Amino acid sequence: MQDWISLPLVGFPLIASVILLAFVSRTDAKMRERLVGPVRMACLVFSLVLLMVTTGMFFQYFGDISWEGISFNSYEYYKQYSWIESLGIHWTVGLDALSFPMVWLTTFLLPVTIIATWNEKNGAMYFPILLAMGGALIGVFVALDLFMFYVFWELTLIPMFFLILVWGGADRKYASQKFFIYTFTASVVMLLGLITLYFFQDPGNPLDYAGTMTGRSFDIPSITQHAFAENSEGWYLGANIQKVLFAMLMLGFLVKLPAVPFHTWLPDAHVQAPTGGSMLLAGVMLKMGAYGMFRLPLSLFPHALEYFQLVLMTIGMISLVWGAIVCLGQTNLKKMVAYSSVSHMGVILIGIATMQPMGWAAALFMMFAHGIISPMLFAVCGAFKHHYHSMEIGAMRGMAKHSPWIATSMMFSWMASLGLPLLAGFVAELMMLIALWYFLVAEGWSVFWMVGPALVLAVTAAYYLWSMQRTIFEGGDETQPPESLHGEPVPDLASPEKLAMLILAAFTILFGVMPWIGLDMMHDWTKQIFEGLIMPILGDFNGGV
Amino acid sequence: MAGAEATNTIDSQWLDFAPLIILLPMMTFAVILFLGRVFNGNPFWKNKMKEGGLIALPVMGASLVLSLLLISEFLGGFNPLKVFDPATVEKIAWVNSGVWDGGSSVKSVTFGFGIYVDHVTVMLLFVAAFLCLLINTFSIGYMNTDPINDNRNHRFYAEFVLFCSGMLGMVLADSFLWLFIFWEIMGLCSYLLIGFYYERPSAASAAKKAFLTTRIGDVFLMIGLVMLWDLFGSLDYAVVFDEAKIEEVAASSAGTLQWALGLMFIGAVGKSAQFPLHVWLPDAMEGPTPVSALIHAATMVNAGLYLVARMFPFFGAEALHGDLDDLAFIIAAIGGITAVMAAAIAFVQMDLKKVLAYSTMSQLAYIFTGLGCAMYLANTLDWHHDDDAHYIVVVAFGAALFHLFNHAMAKGMLFMASGSVIHEVHHAHHHLHHHDDHGDGHHDDHHDDHFDAQSMENMGGLASKMPITATAMLVGSASIMGLPLIGGFWSKEGIIANAWRVAQEDPRFFLPAICVLLGAAMTGFYMSRMWLKTFAGKPNNEVAAHVGPTNTWIKTPLFILTFVTLSSVIFAGLGFTHWASDNSYELGEKGLLKGLLYELEHAFANSDAFFFVLTYIAIFLGAVIGPGLAMALYGGKLAEGEETKPWMRPVIQLSAYIHKRFNFDNSAFAESTLATALENRLYIDEYYDKAMIHIVAAFSTKAAEADSEVIDGTIKAIESGSQSLSSVVRSMTTGSARDYILMVAVGTLSIFMLIWGVA
Repeated sequence: MQDWISLPLVGFPLIASVILLAFVSRTDAKMRERLVGPVRMACLVFSLVLLMVTTGMFFQYFGDISWEGISFNSYEYYKQYSWIESLGIHWTVGLDALSFPMVWLTTFLLPVTIIATWNEKNGAMYFPILLAMGGALIGVFVALDLFMFYVFWELTLIPMFFLILVWGGADRKYASQKFFIYTFTASVVMLLGLITLYFFQDPGNPLDYAGTMTGRSFDIPSITQHAFAENSEGWYLGANIQKVLFAMLMLGFLVKLPAVPFHTWLPDAHVQAPTGGSMLLAGVMLKMGAYGMFRLPLSLFPHALEYFQLVLMTIGMISLVWGAIVCLGQTNLKKMVAYSSVSHMGVILIGIATMQPMGWAAALFMMFAHGIISPMLFAVCGAFKHHYHSMEIGAMRGMAKHSPWIATSMMFSWMASLGLPLLAGFVAELMMLIALWYFLVAEGWSVFWMVGPALVLAVTAAYYLWSMQRTIFEGGDETQPPESLHGEPVPDLASPEKLAMLILAAFTILFGVMPWIGLDMMHDWTKQIFEGLIMPILGDFNGGV
Repeated sequence: MAGAEATNTIDSQWLDFAPLIILLPMMTFAVILFLGRVFNGNPFWKNKMKEGGLIALPVMGASLVLSLLLISEFLGGFNPLKVFDPATVEKIAWVNSGVWDGGSSVKSVTFGFGIYVDHVTVMLLFVAAFLCLLINTFSIGYMNTDPINDNRNHRFYAEFVLFCSGMLGMVLADSFLWLFIFWEIMGLCSYLLIGFYYERPSAASAAKKAFLTTRIGDVFLMIGLVMLWDLFGSLDYAVVFDEAKIEEVAASSAGTLQWALGLMFIGAVGKSAQFPLHVWLPDAMEGPTPVSALIHAATMVNAGLYLVARMFPFFGAEALHGDLDDLAFIIAAIGGITAVMAAAIAFVQMDLKKVLAYSTMSQLAYIFTGLGCAMYLANTLDWHHDDDAHYIVVVAFGAALFHLFNHAMAKGMLFMASGSVIHEVHHAHHHLHHHDDHGDGHHDDHHDDHFDAQSMENMGGLASKMPITATAMLVGSASIMGLPLIGGFWSKEGIIANAWRVAQEDPRFFLPAICVLLGAAMTGFYMSRMWLKTFAGKPNNEVAAHVGPTNTWIKTPLFILTFVTLSSVIFAGLGFTHWASDNSYELGEKGLLKGLLYELEHAFANSDAFFFVLTYIAIFLGAVIGPGLAMALYGGKLAEGEETKPWMRPVIQLSAYIHKRFNFDNSAFAESTLATALENRLYIDEYYDKAMIHIVAAFSTKAAEADSEVIDGTIKAIESGSQSLSSVVRSMTTGSARDYILMVAVGTLSIFMLIWGVA
C-alpha cells in the first residue's frame, strides 16, 4: 500500500514550513509585511490538504482499510523504512483507532487555528510555525518507533517555545522558559525510561527489527508483542523494574497531561501564549500525555498499572477536584480556562484508573472532545484579549450588548465545557461516571470516591456561570467596557474569528449529538486491548464480581 | 390484573412521526436564530413575522397536532400502548461501550434513543404540547409590544422552541438517560430565558442561581441514574420496568435501589423547586412573563414530578413490597413542608408574579405529597391481588397526576393573566409618564425610574378595565384554591384524602397530612388576596386608573384556558383520575353523566364517615376561611361608575360586604418577626448566599493562592536551587585541559560500566 503518512502527513507540513520560514527570514520587514497574505493562504491550503487526507482516511477512501475490528497492536497504513540499522531504529508509521482520532483532530485544528488567528502579528513567520507544530504533533501520534516517538515528542516543544516567546504576552520569557524546562525535564525522565526499556531487552533472543550492533529494538509493535508474551507468564522485566519503568514513563506523561501537582507550567504557558498557541497546546499537545500513556505504559506494563491503580485514581481525583476549585478562585479568564483543562484531564486519568473498557473509552473520547471544546474556549479568551485587551473577570460588564458574537461564543463554549448534554463533552463525562461507579461496586472500593466527581460537576457549573455573569452579562444601563479599551467603542469578532467559532461549535454539536462517529472506533480499540491484552494477562486479578 | 399483559407491541401509524414532535421545534431553533440574525430590525421581519413568533407558532401547532394524533391513537384501541414495536421506529444506538465483569470477554453496553408512550406520557404530552402552543400565542401579544424591545425577540422565540423541544423530548423519551438529557436542555433554556434581559443585574444573577441550584439537584440525579444503571444494566424503561428484572434486583439490592431512587428524587426536588432547593424559582420571575408561564409554572417545573411519577413501577412492583416506603414518606414530607412554607411566604409578597411563583411551589408540593402517598400505598398494599387495594392505589396516583394537569392549566393561565395585567400597567405607566412628559418619542429605559409594574401596589380595581383577564384570573385562582366543582377541586380533595388515608396506616404521614390540610386554607387566603388586591377595590394610583384592555393575541389563550379549567369537571366525570394512572382503566368507562354522579357522590357524600368529615373540613378551610380572611382584609367596591361583568359582580360585592363587616387590624401581624421573616423568605436565601461567599468563595480563593504559592512555589524553589547548583557546575568549567580530560575519562568509564552491568 502507498505510504499515506510519512510524506503527506508528517514530511509535507514540516518541509513546507521550513521552506517558508527560510524564505521569509531572508526578507526585510517591509517585504515580510507584504508576504503575510500569500504565506497565510499557503499555510491554510496546506493544512486543508492535510485535513482532506485524514478525512479521506476516516472514510476509508485510501486503500481497503477498516477502523473497526482491527485486532490489538496491528495498524493501518503501516509503513517501515530502516533508519539506523545498527541500533535498531526505524522510521515506522501506522495508525490505529487510538492514534487516528488524534491525528484527525490535529489536522482539523490546524486550519481552524489559522482562521481563528487570521490577523496575528508577524504572520509571515507565525503561520509556518503553526504548520510545523502540526507536523510535529502528527509525528508523535503516527510514530511506531520509540526513538522516532521521542524525537517528535521533543520536536513539538520547539515551535511551541517560539510561539510563546515571540508572540506571547508581557511575561512571555519566563513562561516560555518554564514551559520548556519543565516539560523537557519530564521528558528526560521519560527518555531514561525508554532507554532503560531498550537496554533491558534480551539480545540473546532478539525482537523483530533489532539493531545489528545492539541486538535490541526500538520497534513499538514488537516490544508490545514481546511484553504481552512475557506479561502473560509473570511480570515482564520483573516486578521491580516494571514498576520503576512504569513510574518513569508515567511521570513524563503526567507532566505533559498535566496532572496535579505537576500542572503549574500550564496556566503560565497558557496565559502568556498567543491564542493560536493556546488552541494547539490545549487542543492537541496535552493529549500527547494521555496518548503516550495508552501507547506505552498501559500496553506494556499492565501488572504495574494494576499495582499503581490506587495512585492513578488518587492523582486523577486530585487533578479533577483541585483544578475545579482553583478555577473558582481565578480572576483571569484564560487562567481559569487553563485550570479547567487540568480538571478535565483528571477525567482522563480517572477513566484510565477504573481499568474498565468504558472508562478507557471515556478517556479516549474526552481526549477528542476536549480537543474540540478547549480550542474554542481559548479562542474566546483570545478574542477578549485581542479586542478588549483585558481578560480580567470583573473588569467589564454587560458586554453581550456590544459584542453579541463574543458573548454567544463564550456562552456556547462554556456550556460545552461544563458538560451540557448533546454537546461533545457530556458523553465522556457520563461514561466516566458510569465506569467509575461500576468499578467501585465491582471491586468493593468505597463509594465515597464518587464525591469528587459529584462535587466537580457542581463547581464547574459555578465557575463558568459566575465568570459569564461578571463579563458579558449584568450591566444595567451602564455597561462597563474594560478600562483597557480607553474609551474606544467596544468591538466584536472579526469575520475569520466568527468562521472559526462556527466551525468549532458545529463540530461540538456534531460529536455531541452523534458521538458514535468517533466513539465506535474508540470502543472497538478498548475492546480489543482488553480482550487481547489486559484480560488475558490480568485474568481475574480485576473484576472479581 | 395490573401491568401483567402490558408489554404487547403495537403497529402504530403515528408513532413513526413521534420523533418529529421533538425534531420540528429543535430545527426551528436554528432557523429562527439564523433568520433573526440576518433580518434583525427589518420591518417585515419585525411586524409581519413578529420576529420569529409566526414561525414558531405553526411549528408548535404541528407538534400539537402530531401529539394529538398519537394520543388519540393511544386512547382509541391501542390500550395499553406500552412499548413500540422496534421494527417500526428504529432505535438509535447512541453510545456503544463495554464493561469488564470478570468474564472472558467485554460485556457490551449500549445507550439508545427511542420513543416510549404510556399513560403518564400521554398526560404530560398533552399538557406540554397544548400549553406550548397557547403560550406561544400569548408571547406574540406580549413580547412584540414590549416597550424595551431592542430587536432581540428572535432570541426569545428561538430559545422558546428549543425549550418546547426539550420538554416534549423528555416526555417522549424511552429511557432515564434521555429524560436527563432533555431535562438539561430545558435547564439551559430556562437559564437563557431567565437571563433574557441579561443587562439587568437581577436577571443575570437569577439566571445563574436557577442553573446552579438545579445543577446541584442534577448532580444527585446523575449519580442516581448511574446507580440505577449499575443495578439494571440499562436505563431503558422497557428494561428497568420489567417485573422479572425488578424481582432479580430486589432480591439482591433493594436497599441500593432505594438509595438510587432517593438520589434521583433530589434531582426532582431541584427541578420542581421544593425545599431546600426552592430558592431559584421566585428569582426566576425575572424572565419575561411568557417564560414564567411556560417554564416556571406549567411545564419545566413538572419535569421533577414526571421523574417521580416515572418511578412508580418500582414502588408498585410486587418484588419490592414494603421496601421503598421510607422514600415514599420522604417524598410526601418534602411536599408537605414545601406546601406550607411556600404558602406562608406567599402571604406577604407584594409582587404579583412572586405570589404566583410561591403558589407554584406550594401546588407542586401538593403533587409531590400526592405522589408520595400513592407510592406508599402502592408499596405497602397488596394491590396486585386485592381489588379494593388496587382501586385505592390507582385513584391515589391518578389524583396526583390530575392535580398536575389542573395546576398546569390553571397556573399557565394565571401567569398569562398576570402578564396581561403587568403589560397593561406598564403601558399605562409609559403612556402617562413618558409620552406625555417628553413627547419626543425617545424611549427612556423603563427601569431607570423606580416604577414596578409587577407590584400590586400599582394595581387595584382592574376588574372593570380588563374583564377577560380578571375572569381568567378568577377562574384560575378558584381552581388553585380548590373551590368546589372548579378545576383543581377534584384533584386537591383527592390528595388531601389520600394523605389522611396513609396517615391512618403510618403515623409518620401525619406531617404531610396536616400540612396539606393547612395548606388548603393558606392557598385560599393568598390567592384571594392576590385577586382582590389586583382587581377589586379602587385603583391604588393614577397608573392603575389608566389601564386599558389587552390585545387579541393575549386574550385568546386566556379564553381557551378558562374554558379548559372550568371543564375539568368533565374530565373528572370521564374518570380522568383513574385513567391517568393505570392501563386497565379506560377513559369514559362509565359514561360522562354516570361518572360525574359517581365522582360527586364520592366527593360530597362519602360513605366513609372519616372521609365525609375530612372533605367538608377541607372545603371549609379552603373555600370559606381562607378567602373570607382575605376579603375581610383586602375586599372593596370598585370605583364610582366602574362596571364589571355580571359574574364578577357578586364576588366584588361580597368582598366589599365582608370587608366592611369583619375588617380587623392586622398591623400587629404585619410588623411581627414572623412577617419580617416571611418577607425575607425565611432568610434561607441569605444563608445560602453567606455559605457561598464565606465557605465556597473563600475556600477557592485560598486554594488558588495555595496553588500558586505552595505548589508552584515548590517548583520555583527547585528552580532557584538548580540555578545555584548550576553556578557550582559552572565553576568547574576551569578552562584547563587537564580537568577536562579527567572528566571525559570518568564519564566514559561510567558509561562502559553501565552497559557492561546491564548486559
